[in-house]
Amino acid sequence: MSHEQDHGHDFPPKSSIKRWFITTNHKDVGILYTITSIFVLLLGGALALLMRAELFTPGLDFLSSASGYNQAVSAHGLLMVFWFISPFATGFANYIVPLQIGADDLAFPRLNAMSYWAYLFSIILFVISFFQGATFSGGWTMYAPLNVPTYMPNVGGTTVVLALIMFVASITMGSVNFLTTIYRMRAPGLRMRDLPMFSMSWLLTVWMMLFAFAALLAALMILGAQHLLPVNYFNVDGGSLLWTHLFWFFGHPEVYIVFFPALGVMAECFQTFTGRRIVGRKWFVLAMVLVALQSFIVWMHHMFLTGINLQIKTLFMVTTIGISLPFDLMVFSLIYTMIKGRIRYTTPFLFCLGALILFIVGGITGVFLGAVVLDYEFRGTYWVVAHFHYVMFAGGTALVGGLYYWFPKMTGRMYDEFLGKLHFAVYFVGFNLLYFPMFSAWETPRRVFVFETSAAFWHKVATVGAFMLGMSFLIMFYNMFKSMASGEEVGDNPWEYATTAEWAVSSPPPLENFPGIADYRGGKLSFLSESEAKAAESGTATDGGAATDGGTPPAETSTATGGGTATGGALATAEQALATRTVETEPEHADHASYWPVVVCFAGFLTFLGLSGVVQQGGVYYWLTGAGGVLSAVGFVGMAQESFHVPEPTIAEQWPFEGVPNMKLGMWFFLGSDIVLFGGFIGSYLFLRVANGWMFWEHELIPEAHVTFPGLVNTYLLLASSFAVVLALVAAHKNSSRGIVASLSATWLLGVGFLVNKGIEWQHLFHIHSDAFPNGWDLATNVASSTFYLTTGLHAAHVIVGLIMLLYMIPRAMRGAYTGEDEASLEYFGLYWHFVDIVWLFLFPLFYIL
Amino acid sequence: MARTKLYTAIFVVLMVFSTTQAFIEQTELIDNAYWTAFAIILTLSTIKAVLVAGYFQHLRWEPPAVTYIALGGLFAALALTTAAAYSIL
Repeated sequence: MSHEQDHGHDFPPKSSIKRWFITTNHKDVGILYTITSIFVLLLGGALALLMRAELFTPGLDFLSSASGYNQAVSAHGLLMVFWFISPFATGFANYIVPLQIGADDLAFPRLNAMSYWAYLFSIILFVISFFQGATFSGGWTMYAPLNVPTYMPNVGGTTVVLALIMFVASITMGSVNFLTTIYRMRAPGLRMRDLPMFSMSWLLTVWMMLFAFAALLAALMILGAQHLLPVNYFNVDGGSLLWTHLFWFFGHPEVYIVFFPALGVMAECFQTFTGRRIVGRKWFVLAMVLVALQSFIVWMHHMFLTGINLQIKTLFMVTTIGISLPFDLMVFSLIYTMIKGRIRYTTPFLFCLGALILFIVGGITGVFLGAVVLDYEFRGTYWVVAHFHYVMFAGGTALVGGLYYWFPKMTGRMYDEFLGKLHFAVYFVGFNLLYFPMFSAWETPRRVFVFETSAAFWHKVATVGAFMLGMSFLIMFYNMFKSMASGEEVGDNPWEYATTAEWAVSSPPPLENFPGIADYRGGKLSFLSESEAKAAESGTATDGGAATDGGTPPAETSTATGGGTATGGALATAEQALATRTVETEPEHADHASYWPVVVCFAGFLTFLGLSGVVQQGGVYYWLTGAGGVLSAVGFVGMAQESFHVPEPTIAEQWPFEGVPNMKLGMWFFLGSDIVLFGGFIGSYLFLRVANGWMFWEHELIPEAHVTFPGLVNTYLLLASSFAVVLALVAAHKNSSRGIVASLSATWLLGVGFLVNKGIEWQHLFHIHSDAFPNGWDLATNVASSTFYLTTGLHAAHVIVGLIMLLYMIPRAMRGAYTGEDEASLEYFGLYWHFVDIVWLFLFPLFYIL
Repeated sequence: MARTKLYTAIFVVLMVFSTTQAFIEQTELIDNAYWTAFAIILTLSTIKAVLVAGYFQHLRWEPPAVTYIALGGLFAALALTTAAAYSIL
């Protein structure tokens, strides 16, 4: 059936290729993410099988060279950790979260499409890197100094760094979008604490993504700069340690970023297939919140073998052991849910149960690594490899369960249960044959293909397990293809005890999800017309309204009965809580199509591909960079000019952001991420200064000519420009177009003045001649100059972006824009510009005075 | 707009504080009591940042949760910076 036609949209059907390039609908984007990530699974899996083939015999050299093996190891790790597992979960999140919270779509549909296209093009960049001499071969942790051009000289190595930057951009866009959506677009009556478990886990995931990936972005931008510019960071005293700090500050939350969506899937499946509300739901959620917070204060347990001091090692050992406690609670909660409920051993449940078992093994073996003394022994061995996969791939296992769980919702057809169970059996045996022997062969050093012959038996077993695990997916693919073509058609809800809102609509759901406004204020899910919803709004205090366990169950029936709701610990059955579909109204429709997201991301792809080779190859790479830059400008202007209508819900649960429009909230989430990005840069400067000697830095590494005055002038200019933006907003309040134009023009001139002053200062420093610095003080002179130019350069780049925005805004203001209700755009620009100002307020003293 | 005077006053304070920071750099305090000067200068920067965020970015008039977003990012950045720097002391 074609739901799209029901709405009379000019939107191609799913059978049209065009639709998949222009769609911004969250379900379509979810499908795109899911399918693309499965392709990455195949690629990463193939690389894993190549590695295991090599490891069948010690020193087999199947891959022809150490470089080949190193590339396979590194690419496997990077692809699986970054490009497969989180995007796989993102696919489900895109499809399911808006449905679970009662939203029609994500807050920013075009941004959502951009997230996907940036993801896809970053994969293509990665694949291209194999053909640029060699891809990155320094391991998935990309430790310094192996990651710098001296040791990673191929263009492909640079391309991978740039691909990762593009991937992080995709993640950040997605995080901002989901956070705004979940906080601002929940169905009336759906309190934060009542979010369905998958949506709750995803909310915490995107919070962690927002901050953790920003730290990685800082690391990658510095590394990218080191590949493209003559700067010194990771190759100087303290540089290697700096990379590990930046990487693991991201890397440990990443473990939970990967695992939390899996935990959400497990919680959903355990509830559905035991017919029992998760035991201790409130404590389960609090434990997840605690882990999300703690995840940012455990990273140095990955650094016990480095030269950090014993006090900090001890502290981080404590925090690491501490983080296992909330996980214990979650594990016991899941086990007790099984005991209290009646289990239905369906394929999704089997995968989730398997994931729980695997995670318990991974968790217990991880506690060893959290202890400083034991870590001295285990670090860098196959113990880590086994533990790591038992944790991360346990998450992958639950997500495979999620694929089976939501397959009927996404396709409208049921998978073959026998084949599903067969897949699980082969998968689970293969998994344990692959990874458990690694505990026996734990003394094998990781990342090398030559090992003691005494471990050969276990490695042979592991290789057999690897192929078994890989082959198990063939069963899954056959099952999925066969079922999509001829599986039994399902109605709204094929699972007897599924209770969340996605099961209250048809499979697959219609384009705009619900037949009316989803509403929980009556204690159960119902669909109201706008007038009914408004009437309910005026008569009901929504915050603190009726609680349900992540939504109440679906049903086709059109009347509500007096059945109870799921508030006290038991799941509501379909009979107990019938969804009410009282009115079929035609609400205001959103747009679902734009080709600008793919254009902009393709432009970004061209730019990054060009940048990868400009230093070593030049020629065509310059053209690619230029073409990408021009196309980016066209794309952004096109997107800004495009009429794309996304109605903001007027009736929704929006605590704690009532009264903050979606765009403003999105801007604040972006700025939150940007704070961490600048924090990473400024933190790197401070760290390297401490490593090199705080006062030595000032006395020996900085020239006398680097004085305070240019910085002070720029502070005046930037503060004045900020004040000018404030005056623009004041003018907007007064409906004074002339005032707006004058203020924005002043902002632009002051911003340009800031850049000109900086340019003059830099030129002067580049060409100074003193005894200490006879050849000037440029990017390559020393670590102090590199940190100065790169950090203030990043800030200048932000200024330039702001000036470009002003170039777009000033002509619009001349035509009368930004007065009256249209002033919001002006305010959002102001938020950005003032943030850039605030950053400078710290750069000025740190780089010019202290 | 009644707030124009308030914004102007804040702008003046920001300029004065910036000048003060530069002035401290010219005094003997920076040579004789470096870390005291360090603390004063960064405190002034922090006050300036709070003024810009609170008034120019209107955080003072937003729900507190909006401020918590920025504080969350700030906490992450400070955790990284301080713990990393301490780890090599």
